[in-house]
Amino acid sequence: MSLLAPIICDNGTGYSKVGFAGNSDPSFVFPTAIATRGSAAQSSRSGPAVPAKPGHLASKRGVEDLDFFIGDEALANAKTPGYGVYYPIRHGQIDNWDYMERYWEQTIFKYLRAEPEDHYFLLTEPPLNPPENREQTAEIFFESFNIQGLYIAVQAVLALAASWSSNRVTDRTLTGTVIDSGDGVTHVIPCAEGYVIGSAIKHIPIAGRDLTQFVLNLMRERGEMAQVPPEDQLKVAGKVKENYTYVCQDIVKEFRKYDAEPYKYFERYDGEHSVTGRQYSLDVGYERFLAPEIFFNPEIYSSDFLTPLPEIVDSTIQASPIDVRRGLYKNIVLSGGSTMFQHFGQRLKRDLKLLVDRRLEASVISSGSALKSSGVEVDVISHKRQRYAVWFGGSLLASLPEFYSSCHTKAQYDEIGPSIGRRYKIFGSAT
Amino acid sequence: MILLEPHNYIIQTTLVDKFSKPTTLDVQFVDFDGVRFHLSTLDRKTVLLLSMHIRCWDELVRYGAQDVLRREYGSLVQSQPESDYNISLLIDLEKAPPEGEQRDAFIHSIALMKRNALAAPFELAFKKQKELENSSSGQGDIMAIHYRDEEAIYIQAAHDRVTVIFSTIFREETDRIFGKVFLQEFVDARRLPQIQNAPQVLFTNRDPPLEIRHVPGLRDSEDIGYVTFVLFPPHFSNPHVAAGTVSHIQLFRNYLHYHIKCSKAYMQSRMRHRVSEFQKVLNRAKTEVASTERKTVTGRTLQTR
Repeated sequence: MSLLAPIICDNGTGYSKVGFAGNSDPSFVFPTAIATRGSAAQSSRSGPAVPAKPGHLASKRGVEDLDFFIGDEALANAKTPGYGVYYPIRHGQIDNWDYMERYWEQTIFKYLRAEPEDHYFLLTEPPLNPPENREQTAEIFFESFNIQGLYIAVQAVLALAASWSSNRVTDRTLTGTVIDSGDGVTHVIPCAEGYVIGSAIKHIPIAGRDLTQFVLNLMRERGEMAQVPPEDQLKVAGKVKENYTYVCQDIVKEFRKYDAEPYKYFERYDGEHSVTGRQYSLDVGYERFLAPEIFFNPEIYSSDFLTPLPEIVDSTIQASPIDVRRGLYKNIVLSGGSTMFQHFGQRLKRDLKLLVDRRLEASVISSGSALKSSGVEVDVISHKRQRYAVWFGGSLLASLPEFYSSCHTKAQYDEIGPSIGRRYKIFGSAT
Repeated sequence: MILLEPHNYIIQTTLVDKFSKPTTLDVQFVDFDGVRFHLSTLDRKTVLLLSMHIRCWDELVRYGAQDVLRREYGSLVQSQPESDYNISLLIDLEKAPPEGEQRDAFIHSIALMKRNALAAPFELAFKKQKELENSSSGQGDIMAIHYRDEEAIYIQAAHDRVTVIFSTIFREETDRIFGKVFLQEFVDARRLPQIQNAPQVLFTNRDPPLEIRHVPGLRDSEDIGYVTFVLFPPHFSNPHVAAGTVSHIQLFRNYLHYHIKCSKAYMQSRMRHRVSEFQKVLNRAKTEVASTERKTVTGRTLQTR
């Protein structure tokens, strides 16, 4: 029965990516949202509905256990009277197990149309996920769903595995720094041989949502957004961000270039008024290179967070154990939608290299030129599958033959119990 | 969502996506009962090949699945299926019906591929019943479809009814008990006046029903159960109703297992709720620790260790 492909389930705060191993893209990407009966205030107080009186089964026949929607359908039903929308994952970690369990049910049965008893599962977890959560997950999957086998992988490690698809990567190593930038937050996570160095992880409060907001601010200031209805403005700004922006190498030169030949560099965005149906057309200008620039010069956007991304990456690696630092500098991997900008990797590499070289020079001088470093190799790897890198890494690992032997099987679970979820085996790397 | 739908979501969403923007594609996915699909583009971006592998294909062919699929999909069916798969459909996006309702119907019909393949024996049984009706006695042969490794559907036509028997296995103790309660409920529920017209349902645990007792190779163990549906002509005389009956009955096993899992989750959420309530009670019952500071005459505090 292991003929059937393992299921890869990457549940993020905003979106869930689910699909089958061996494919290059997830089969479904939908919001991690669930709509059930009962408002938020009510359910937290009174809990799930309990039948009024015990008695014959037929008297309490209802469909409370089946009455819910997930994903896009949940959002569509948000306004249906009696339903409330909930997001069971907060900050990457599962917050409400009741909702999450139901969410998985429908993912598996309705969308993937798979019988969980026939499949192996690969789930993902954020770095610094408490082991209790892993236990809880193992319990749900083995006891409620009776799955054949389970592997819970750390997202950052999967992102490293996804970079093996790049032709610039020659050795399949699980040592490297992962820059994971999604919609809400950006993480810089160092991994050594498949294990996350938890103490060195750093977070940056700048991510996709902030970039969109910044584009919106710029376009509003220029008066472009006047033609766009207010409810569409954020969406338009998001489209502009996705389709026209790139990372420049020198901001002053870029400004000069735009001013000299505006017709060559300014783009036009065409849209349609959602209510009146009138066509409008907007100029897209400096925001093309200014938007991703907030990663490198955060002061142009935020007033409280001022450290540029390359400096954060550098300090993360400096906080890691000294014997892995070389590996971390050599293999910096990008993952998530907000790292997809053109030339993002090149710019990061250049800025980081500058920082590292400067420090080496300083140490040469302070040692009185007695010691000379052989130099540190810095490399940032971008690849085609960056958007769903975590999912793709899972798909890659789960199609390896070692996957099945690294999984916890149902028999092992029955033998040991939920605490089996605490342990896991790293596999797949060539070293 | 209360019921499971008969069509495959992945086929539907992928096709809708590809119609609006053709790109190269190569995906493999599954459906219930171990059905495997492979959807890929051939030499051109607009030509898609959808192949299906189904475990009980040989049995289905015997009961006329080829004809049903040819009827549904016509020239789309390839004479030579892709290796490793049982049947292939060639979908040319450029030759598909125009956008709008027609195209939606086209996509929907392709998404129903597995349902249509499995519908063959049911349709055959319905036809057989029609033939036998005039003779007012006699029975058709038992058609066995081993749709899973250890489980099967048996269909038999008689002059006044069609009997469908499912054998199902519960791998886990808890599931078995849930299953028993559910299936018993089916029998009880029929007493309610509003669903008197539903097909009759019988459930037996371990002992196979009389109709299939003579079939060789039946498993004799505690974890197996048999569900018998008795369909009468009103359930399938109208072609529209018949199609609905077939779709629902096919998904019966999956729906049962889905519902068992949902019920477990529901019970667990009630248990979690109960535990947190009890914890509150326990916390309230805790005696308060005396926290008054004790001082010596000189004014120094005593520390309790």
